[in-house]
Amino acid sequence: MKELILIFISAVITNNLVLCYFLGICPFLGVSAKTDSAVGMGIAVVFVMTLANALCWLIYHLALVPLNITFLSYVLFILVIASLVQIVEMVVRKFSPPLYRALGIFLPLITVNCAILGAALLMVTLKYDFLESVVYGFSGGVGFLFIITVMASIREELEYMDMPKPFKGAAITLVITGLLSLIFMGFAGLISA
Amino acid sequence: MTITLLSLITLGGVGLVFAVLLAVLSKKLAVQVDPKVTEILNVLPGVNCGACGQPGCAAYAQMIAEKKSLFCRCIPGGDAVSKKIEKILGITASQNAKEKLIPVCRCGSTNKEKKRSFIYSGPLSCKSAHISGGLIDCAYGCLGLGDCVNVCPVNALSVTNGKISVNRKLCISCGKCVSACPRQLYKMIPVKDGIDTYVVSCNNQDSGPDTRKVCSRGCIACGLCAGVEQSPYMVKNNVSSIDYDKLTSSKPLADAKAKCPPKCIDKIL
Repeated sequence: MKELILIFISAVITNNLVLCYFLGICPFLGVSAKTDSAVGMGIAVVFVMTLANALCWLIYHLALVPLNITFLSYVLFILVIASLVQIVEMVVRKFSPPLYRALGIFLPLITVNCAILGAALLMVTLKYDFLESVVYGFSGGVGFLFIITVMASIREELEYMDMPKPFKGAAITLVITGLLSLIFMGFAGLISA
Repeated sequence: MTITLLSLITLGGVGLVFAVLLAVLSKKLAVQVDPKVTEILNVLPGVNCGACGQPGCAAYAQMIAEKKSLFCRCIPGGDAVSKKIEKILGITASQNAKEKLIPVCRCGSTNKEKKRSFIYSGPLSCKSAHISGGLIDCAYGCLGLGDCVNVCPVNALSVTNGKISVNRKLCISCGKCVSACPRQLYKMIPVKDGIDTYVVSCNNQDSGPDTRKVCSRGCIACGLCAGVEQSPYMVKNNVSSIDYDKLTSSKPLADAKAKCPPKCIDKIL
């Protein structure tokens, strides 16, 4: 249990996928203009990342490792994630129209989100067991949700500011991302092994 | 050799499994979309203004296709669109379209006319400025930072020298500007055929001398406009306004505009 809590805290705060591994920057910049859509995107990422990590762990340990072809993991994980997102989209659309209306437009965006693939590959590198992998996927998603919400809130406030032209839009967003990253580097000593 | 073969089989196998799964699921989980919904959606203007009370044109199309009734009709599309939709649905519940409403801002003073006794350097939005008491001395007047301009889905509003103007050809009467203004300056007024549209461009409810202190163009509630023949004007709460139901011709409106001492009656083009 203690292990799992540590994985959660580390993925959300100290080793955040966005701020420490710089993964998933494109949706992070693209969808963080408004808090509503940022939260929607974040929740969709939590959802998909948890499922993708579970499925990828199963395929990796039940097929790739016994057959000794682990070099295939990159290609296979992309395939698995893309198909999974499609299936999830169809299932959600059929059985839960309200959820589809909330997450629908974000799901296709996630298909090629590098944070999802990154989380799946990291779970292999870190040699997690099944439960740990699922928790890692979930907490990686929560970390993304957390950061994209923080970013969207900051950007909404920035809208009203009188900003010099060269800084407007993506430029100031990247500057803020850098500052946020520096801040979160400060948490590095939070967990001592 | 074996590794090549194994990887080919694994990759192909997993790909095949997912392909079959996707093919089967796409058939099994197919969601029926009413063809009428797409047809209605093609007819609607597609500006997603929200004036019908639905989040967008798609939601409105879905709702009227299900309930087979127009409810609050599509205001931007007007009568033409309503007729087309009725044709698609095969219903004839058409009532005559209401007269067009346009929003007017009840403050028409420019930056020169509004008095300012301090410099505001906060966030450039009317909402923020209003919380801190406003950037002009008048507690009722237009702040001129353009919150209404930003919410307008068709760019019908503009600010020049701190004065708002409405382009009534572009306006689709969605009413978003009415709720965006923190000082509730907007009012939807009917446009009648053959009668020019006038508005009292002031909402200052302080007494005449107090209004004079903060704005050189404010309504001083002198009542001259209410005194002209067949006047639709009335002075209430120290500010004049027009009763648009009483209008029969443009003459009393123009007479009052000529008489108004601070010239706060505007004709809308």
